Amino acid sequence: MRQSRRAEEQKSRNLNVRILLRYCATALFAALLFLPFKGLKAAGIMFICILTLLSVVSLLKKTKIIDAIKAIHIPEIGRFRTFFIPVLLIASAALPFILKDYYIDVIIMSGIYILLALGLNIIVGFTGLLNLGFAAFYAIGAYTYAILNTKIGLGFWASLPISASFAALAGLLLAIPALRLRGDYLAIVTLGFGEIVRLVLNNWDSLTNGPNGITGISRPLLMGFSLAQLQYYYYLVFVIVIFAVVVIKRVESSRIGRAWIAIKENEIAASSMGINTTKYKLYAFTFGTFWAGIAGILFSAKMQFVSPESFTFMESILILSMIILGGIGNTYGAIIGAFILVLLPEMLREVQLYRMLILGIGLVLLMIFRPQGIVGGVKGVHFRS
Amino acid sequence: MLKLVSIHTSYNNIKALKGIDIEVNKGEIVCLIGSNGAGKTTTLLTISGILKPDSGDIFFEGESLKNIAPHNIVNKGICHVPEGRRIFPRLTVIENLEMGAYSVNFKYQISNFKNNIEKVFSLFPILKERVKQPGGTLSGGEQQMLAIGRALMANPKLLLLDEPSLGLAPIMVSKIFKTIKEINEEGVTILLVEQNAKAALRLSHRGYVLENGTIKLHGSGEELLHNEDVKKAYLGE
Repeated sequence: MRQSRRAEEQKSRNLNVRILLRYCATALFAALLFLPFKGLKAAGIMFICILTLLSVVSLLKKTKIIDAIKAIHIPEIGRFRTFFIPVLLIASAALPFILKDYYIDVIIMSGIYILLALGLNIIVGFTGLLNLGFAAFYAIGAYTYAILNTKIGLGFWASLPISASFAALAGLLLAIPALRLRGDYLAIVTLGFGEIVRLVLNNWDSLTNGPNGITGISRPLLMGFSLAQLQYYYYLVFVIVIFAVVVIKRVESSRIGRAWIAIKENEIAASSMGINTTKYKLYAFTFGTFWAGIAGILFSAKMQFVSPESFTFMESILILSMIILGGIGNTYGAIIGAFILVLLPEMLREVQLYRMLILGIGLVLLMIFRPQGIVGGVKGVHFRS
Repeated sequence: MLKLVSIHTSYNNIKALKGIDIEVNKGEIVCLIGSNGAGKTTTLLTISGILKPDSGDIFFEGESLKNIAPHNIVNKGICHVPEGRRIFPRLTVIENLEMGAYSVNFKYQISNFKNNIEKVFSLFPILKERVKQPGGTLSGGEQQMLAIGRALMANPKLLLLDEPSLGLAPIMVSKIFKTIKEINEEGVTILLVEQNAKAALRLSHRGYVLENGTIKLHGSGEELLHNEDVKKAYLGE
């Protein structure tokens, strides 16, 4: 009896040693990769950091904290709607009176990204169509207003529906041929489309002024009253975001939303339930890119300047990270994800050089501890099918 | 009610069906049996429009289904329970059932929704207990019940069942088969594809034996059950 216990102890000690060795090897590898760039001392620090990080993670795994974090179910906001939403609305409406201009500026940007994340969430989160070129539709919305405003002198409000429908039309036109493809292939086509749009903007000098971009775009007017001041612009973005959330929530719980979710869950079953899958996928693409167009016009009216640089592939990936961070397929998750990913880099401005590193580590940790995202709807349940 | 006239279907170069003639009369249970790769599932997929036949024609209540999109075929009253259940794992049981009522004249569905739900729950009482549970957390047999219940929500005239016994315990299989009989007695015509030939033939009024994309034999369930060739090939005797 005692002997067998001793043998077991020996075994588990061996296992621990083996795991520690594996961590050492991983950390050593990372440190070696780091060595040529920063020298021996930095590599040594890197080695120690990664080793402690891995050990901490494995210790946490033993204490089942990971499982606990995965199982946290953020209560559905709907349950506290009567309390939460008014408080949140009043707090957000009061923000411009409290904060400095710099922060208002950051929050306006996060509002624009919330619109983008909401739009992409319709395509990727609800319908399950991976889109890696979402910045293209953002760009189309932004450039439509920029061109209409500087060449014809059209105002913000007249351009708003035009910009949004242009982006939606582009989404529809891309989707018609692209939806013959599935999964990864669709992702590659949308990625290609994103690059094409950027290159066209970069090279069509006569219309888009090439890499120099378009300057002198005017700020919106409301009944002859300029919304140029940051506070007023904040309220404009605020109202549009609220409008978007309400509309998207309503659509999500309608027949159309249900059809999207069914397509994502199981396409064959969806079509055998009598859902016209092609039609609803086109709806998703068009509806999602519509919001990208609106985000685009808000962006160009705020910056008064657009250039192809703002709409790179990285931008598409950033928007995708937002919805993954927040919890894919969850409207509130998209909002929180967008807010965090805009706010965090601004807050980390102090440590300029390392902020992307910290952001990256943060995302990796999130994927380990909470793969369903911050407000993920999966509740840590494993499904069979 | 349903009539397939020399249907040929292929997956790119591979010919899966080489001239199939099947007839299903109103109120019948008809089963298709055959070994793996005989073309049973392909036949069902062709009927429900997910695959398009190369030649031949399908008539449902005298109307050709050849150029009708899958979602419109559902509207005509043909409901397909695909192989391997394919429920929506993240939607709850009730939401899965609601999805079944998605198609078919919207107004009609609303007025009949409660009725249909009650009917499904009386066929499968276990689903009522699990109404708020995500579909993916059900056991295999319960998922199969959910898949059949979901199809019934559309008030089908003809139900296409693709291997309802796949991967289920024997006791579940006999339960499912008993329910299929009940559904049939309520006036739904059933076309059943099965590997479990003995049970399927016992249940069916008529049967077809498929082999390599053609129909080898056809007769009443009783006849096929006692046919020497069938016994040898599929019943393991």
